[in-house]
Amino acid sequence: MKVAVAGKGGSGKTTIAGTLARILAQGERPVLAIDADPNPNLAVNLGIDPETAARVESVPLSFAHHAKDADGRYSVGMDISPEEIVRRYGTPGPDGVTLLLVGRVEAHQAGAG
Amino acid sequence: MRGILEHLQSSETLVTVTDMEAGLEHLKRGTLEHAETLLIVVEPYFKSLEAAGRIAALARGLGVPRISAVANKVRSERDEVAIRDYCAGHDLPLLAVVPFDADVAEAERLGRAVLDTAPAAPAVDRLRSLANRLLAADLPERAERVAD
Repeated sequence: MKVAVAGKGGSGKTTIAGTLARILAQGERPVLAIDADPNPNLAVNLGIDPETAARVESVPLSFAHHAKDADGRYSVGMDISPEEIVRRYGTPGPDGVTLLLVGRVEAHQAGAG
Repeated sequence: MRGILEHLQSSETLVTVTDMEAGLEHLKRGTLEHAETLLIVVEPYFKSLEAAGRIAALARGLGVPRISAVANKVRSERDEVAIRDYCAGHDLPLLAVVPFDADVAEAERLGRAVLDTAPAAPAVDRLRSLANRLLAADLPERAERVAD
């Protein structure tokens, strides 16, 4: 199950995403909460303490290699499996939820998509 | 970032809940690819509804399989009707109505999760129902996959 939560700033999008991720994590399947917001604060709504949240490392965008094929279709190659990304960069939270930060865009990467 | 998101969501075993960037500028960068369900959080006021409508239209264009609205901070019957009317008029299923909840506001003020400060809060209750609806909607697909 792959759920994305969108909305206008201030709508409570992050509160809903975090709470929903925790509730789903109380079930049987492993849940990955992905913070794709460049101003990341999903950790708070997951109940991860501020000290731990401050140390969360963003997944380096350098794992992805972007290319266009002959038809102009965009493709992405990856040096590392999703499971390995989670193992290396995931931060455990309450109810067994795992937080992953992917949204922090470094200045030199702006525009890389 | 699109590549990383796509890659993570390609894992069959994981349930993912992705908190997207606010607004809709990021959608044109393909950040929604591989999402199966998009929840658009909407508040009962005109600009929020309009933004939800634009996000839904873009997501449809991108081929996101399931697109729904989640009403948030609903304070009155009138609020709920405004959101229901907008969603009905824009072919947008309304999957949950989350009330304005002082417990949520207090948790936000403290910088904590409402599930830890007030697990029985009305808003949490609605989100539990939403989680159940999402899990129920997820089942047929999984059953089909098993049948294959």
